[in-house]
Amino acid sequence: MTMIDTDDRPSGLWRDAWRRLRRNRLAVAGLFIIFGVVLVAVIGPWLSPYDFLSQNLDVRNQPPSASHWLGTDDLGRDVLARLMFGARTAFLVAIGVTVTAVFIGVSLGAVAGFFGGPFDRFVMWFTDITMSVPQLLLVVVINASLKQPISQWMEARYIETLNPIYRNSTLIDFVLVFGSMALISWPAYARLVRAQVLSVRNRPYVTAARALGLTNRIILTRYVLPNAMGPLIVAVSAGLGTAMVLESAFSFLGVGVTPPTPSWGNMISDGLRVWTNYPHLLVAPAAVLAVVTVAFNFLGDGLNDALNPKGQK
Amino acid sequence: MTALLEIRGLTIDIARDEGPARVVDGIDLTVMAGESLGIVGESGCGKSLTMLSLVGLLPNRIRATAGSAMFGGKDLLKMTPGALRRVRGSEIGFIFQDPMTSLNPVIRIGDQIAEALIYQKGMTKPQAAIRAVELLALVGIPAPEDRAQAWPHELSGGMRQRVMIAMGLAGHPKLLIADEPTTALDVTIQAQIVDLVRDLKTRLNMSVVWITHDLALIAGLADRIAVLYAGTVVEDAPVAEIFDRPTHPYTRALLDSLPTLAGEAMSRLPSITGTPPEPGRRPPGCPFAPRCPLAQPACSDAVPKLAPVPGSDPRHRVACPIVIERAVA
Amino acid sequence: MTALLEIRGLSKHFGLTLGAFGDRAATVRALDDFSVDIIEGETLSLVGESGCGKSTTGFCILNLHQPSGGSVKYKGQEIAGLDEAAMRPFRRDLQIVFQDPYSTLNPRMTIGEALSEPILFHGLASRAELPARVTDLLADVGMTPRFANRYPHELSGGQRQRVAIARALACQPRFIVCDEAISALDVSVQAQILNLLLDLREKYGLTYLFIAHDLAVVRHISNRVGVMYLGRLTELAPAGDLFARPLHPYTRALLSAVPKPDPRAPVNRQRLTGEVPSPLNPPAGCRFHTRCPIARDRCRAEVPEWRAVTPGHHIACHAVSRADKTNWEGQS
Repeated sequence: MTMIDTDDRPSGLWRDAWRRLRRNRLAVAGLFIIFGVVLVAVIGPWLSPYDFLSQNLDVRNQPPSASHWLGTDDLGRDVLARLMFGARTAFLVAIGVTVTAVFIGVSLGAVAGFFGGPFDRFVMWFTDITMSVPQLLLVVVINASLKQPISQWMEARYIETLNPIYRNSTLIDFVLVFGSMALISWPAYARLVRAQVLSVRNRPYVTAARALGLTNRIILTRYVLPNAMGPLIVAVSAGLGTAMVLESAFSFLGVGVTPPTPSWGNMISDGLRVWTNYPHLLVAPAAVLAVVTVAFNFLGDGLNDALNPKGQK
Repeated sequence: MTALLEIRGLTIDIARDEGPARVVDGIDLTVMAGESLGIVGESGCGKSLTMLSLVGLLPNRIRATAGSAMFGGKDLLKMTPGALRRVRGSEIGFIFQDPMTSLNPVIRIGDQIAEALIYQKGMTKPQAAIRAVELLALVGIPAPEDRAQAWPHELSGGMRQRVMIAMGLAGHPKLLIADEPTTALDVTIQAQIVDLVRDLKTRLNMSVVWITHDLALIAGLADRIAVLYAGTVVEDAPVAEIFDRPTHPYTRALLDSLPTLAGEAMSRLPSITGTPPEPGRRPPGCPFAPRCPLAQPACSDAVPKLAPVPGSDPRHRVACPIVIERAVA
Repeated sequence: MTALLEIRGLSKHFGLTLGAFGDRAATVRALDDFSVDIIEGETLSLVGESGCGKSTTGFCILNLHQPSGGSVKYKGQEIAGLDEAAMRPFRRDLQIVFQDPYSTLNPRMTIGEALSEPILFHGLASRAELPARVTDLLADVGMTPRFANRYPHELSGGQRQRVAIARALACQPRFIVCDEAISALDVSVQAQILNLLLDLREKYGLTYLFIAHDLAVVRHISNRVGVMYLGRLTELAPAGDLFARPLHPYTRALLSAVPKPDPRAPVNRQRLTGEVPSPLNPPAGCRFHTRCPIARDRCRAEVPEWRAVTPGHHIACHAVSRADKTNWEGQS
C-alpha cells in the first residue's frame, strides 16, 4: 500500500490564531494600548516625582504645565500621578473581578452543561435570579450592608493582634468591590460556557472519547472545555473592559473604591463637579477610561476573528 | 441546435491573505438550447462556483477574474448587478443543495413563490397567488391550494425541494441550474426529484445544468457530461460516450472506483491514490498528473487543452495529450 | 460460527416535550424490537432512509445511547444499560467510526495525541513504546509517522477518516460500528477507505456493523444486509441473496431507486410515492403500509411477524411469501 505523506512544517492552532490577530491593525493597536497602560500602572508611580496622595495647596487646580503634565486637582495633587495609580486600581479590579467571575462561571457552567439534569436546572435558575436583580442595586446593597460590619470586625482584629494589615481600608474596598462585582458578572460567563459545552458535548469526537472508555473528567477537561474556550476568551477580553467601566461607575457613585485611593471613576466624579472651570480634571480620566475600554473591545473583536476564521470550522 | 450559454476561459480566484488562490482555471463550457448538461466533479473542483459566477452569486472574496459567459447575446460576467438580478429570476432558474435552509422559515410557501412572481413578472397579488398554486401543482405537490398556505417547517425535505424547484421555475427560465439538489435527500426521494426534473425539462423545453458528484445519478439524466477536476474541464462528451468510452484517466478512475449493485462483493475497488489538490496548491501543468497512472514528466509543463478524441463522436473532447496520442496509434 | 453479539428486542424511545409550554409529551420510537446475532468476523450492514433507526441501533449496541429496552450480549455477557464504569472494560473491544470527518477529531489535539490517549488510558503500551505504537497505527491506515504532529484542520476529509479508523484500532477492538463512515467522502476517496476497511478486517479479524444508505457500497462490503424502515428491521439476508432476490416491497423499491451508472438503463423504475412518515406517530400495523404497493387490510392492523422465508433470509411482511412472489411481480 502506498503511504500518504505530509511535510514537516510546524503548525499549531494558537500560532495560526496569533498570526491572524497580528494582521488585524485595530486589535494590535488595542493590544499596544493595553500593554502601555499596564506598564504605566506598574512602573509609573515610581517614575513620577509626585505621590498620588501628597497634597500641595499652593498649586490647586492648575492646568497642565511642564511640572504637572496633566495639571493638579483641587487639593493640589498631581493628576498624572493619580491617573497612573488609578490604572493600578482599574487593572487590579478588572483582573480580580474577571478571574473570580470566570472561575465561578466556568466551573458551574461547564458542569451544568456537561452533566445536565437537576444541577443544570438549579444553576440556570440561580443565574436567572441573579441576572434579574438590577446590578447597581445589588452592589449598593452589598456594599452598604457589609462595609460597616467588616470594618468593625477588622478594627477589632487590629486591636487584638496589632497586625497592620487590618488597618488597610483599601483592602476592604477591594474585597468588597471584587466580591460584589464578581457576583453580578459570573452568570454571563456561566451561560456562555454552558451554551458552548452543550454544543460541543455531542460532537462526534466527544462521543468517540466516550466510546474509547475515557472518564468524564478527562472528556470534560481535554475534549469539551478546550473546544468551548474560544468565545470565552473573547468574552473575557470584552469583560475586562466592562469591569473597568463598572468599577468606575461604582466609584463614581461612591460605592466603589473610597477616596483618597485614586480610581478613574472617583476622579471623573470629582472632575464633573468642577468641569466648567477646570475641564482637565474631567477630560483626563474620562479620556483614559474611554481609550482603554475601546482598546479592550478592539482586542476582543480581533480575538473573535482570529479564533473563528471564516470558512474554517 | 443553437448554443444557449457559452462560457469561455472562465477563471475564478479566491482572495486570501496569502494572495489569490485559483479555483477555476479557464473553463470552456457550452449549453445547447434544450440540452441537459451534467457537471460532475469532486468537492472543491469548482463546479458550483462556475455556475454561481454566471448569476452573480459568488460568495464574498471570490471573484471571476477572466473569461466570458455569453447568454442570449450578452456577457453575464459584464452585467450590472441589477441586470443580473433580472436574468436570475426570469431567464436562469437556480435550485440549491439544501432545501432545509433555502426557504425563508417565516413566510408561507405560496407567498414565497408569489413574491418572486410579483417582483420578476410584475404580476398583481391575486394573479401571483394563482400562478404559485399552478407551479406547486406543476412540481407534483399534492393538494397545492392547501400546501400554498403551509409554512416551510411543515414540509418534508423532498417537498421543500419541490417548492425550491417551483421557485426556480417561477420566471419560466430558459436555463435551470440545479446545484446538487438531491444530495441531502434519501434515495427514494432523490429518484422522485430526478424524475420530476427530467419530466419538467421536456414539458417546458428548458436547458438544464445539473451539478453533481454522483456519476451514476447523472447517467439517467444528462445528454452530455462535463467532468471537472481541480478547476478545469478534463473531459466533455455525450453521456453514452462517457460511460462507453471514458477516455481521460480521471474519468476512467472515477468510473472504476464506483461500487455498483452488479459489482463483485468483498473485492478491492480500483481506487485513485491521493486527494484532489486544494485551491492555491494546484500543481503546475495537468492538475491530475500527481495522481495519474499514465503521467509523464511532460504533463507538468502545461495545462492540457480540450481536444477531440480521434475515432470517437466529434463532440467527445478530452484534455489529455497522452490518451489522444494513444487513440491515434 | 459463533455470535459475537446477541441482540434481542433492542428498542430506543426518545421522550419529547412539545407545545409552547412543554405541556405535551410525545415519544419518538426511533428503534423497536431489534433482534439479530452478529457473527464473529462478518460484516453486517444496516441500510435504510433517514429516520429508519440504523444509526440509533449502532449507538444503542455500544451503549452510547441508553437503550429503552432489550438485551445486548457481548460474548455472552449482558452490556445493555451498563453505566460508564461497568461498560469501560467492554469499550476497548467495541469501537465506532463516525460519518463527519470534520468533527470526528478533537481540533485541539494533534493526530499523535489523539491516538496516544486511548493507548495510555487503557495501559496498552508504556510511554516508551508509545511512539512506535502510534507509527504502527498510522501505517495501518496508510499514513506516514510525520502525520503525528499535524492538527486535524490540516488534513483532508479522507485523511481525517483514516485517523478516526486508526483511533478505533488503537484499542485493539474486536468489533467496529462504521456509522456512515464513508458517506461524506468524495467518490475517489470513498473507494480508498472502503479498501482500507476490507484490508483491516482481514488483518485483524474484525467484525463490522456497517451502517450506510448507499446500497451499492453495502453490496460491496457486506456478508449480510439488514434493511430498516421507521425503526424496524424489515428484511435480513445474506448480501448476495438480498440483492438478487429482494422479497420485502420496501427493499425492492429501495433497490430500484438506486441510480445505475448506465445511460441506457430503463427510466421507469418502480417508484415509491410519498415519504417516510414521522416516527413520532408511526403507522399502526406494518409501518410501511402507507407507501406499500401491495398493502392489504391486514397490513394496516397487525404488525407482521419476523419470519424466515428461506434459511437465513428473514422478512417482516404479511403480503409476501414465496408462493405469491411471482404474483406480486406481475402487478408491478
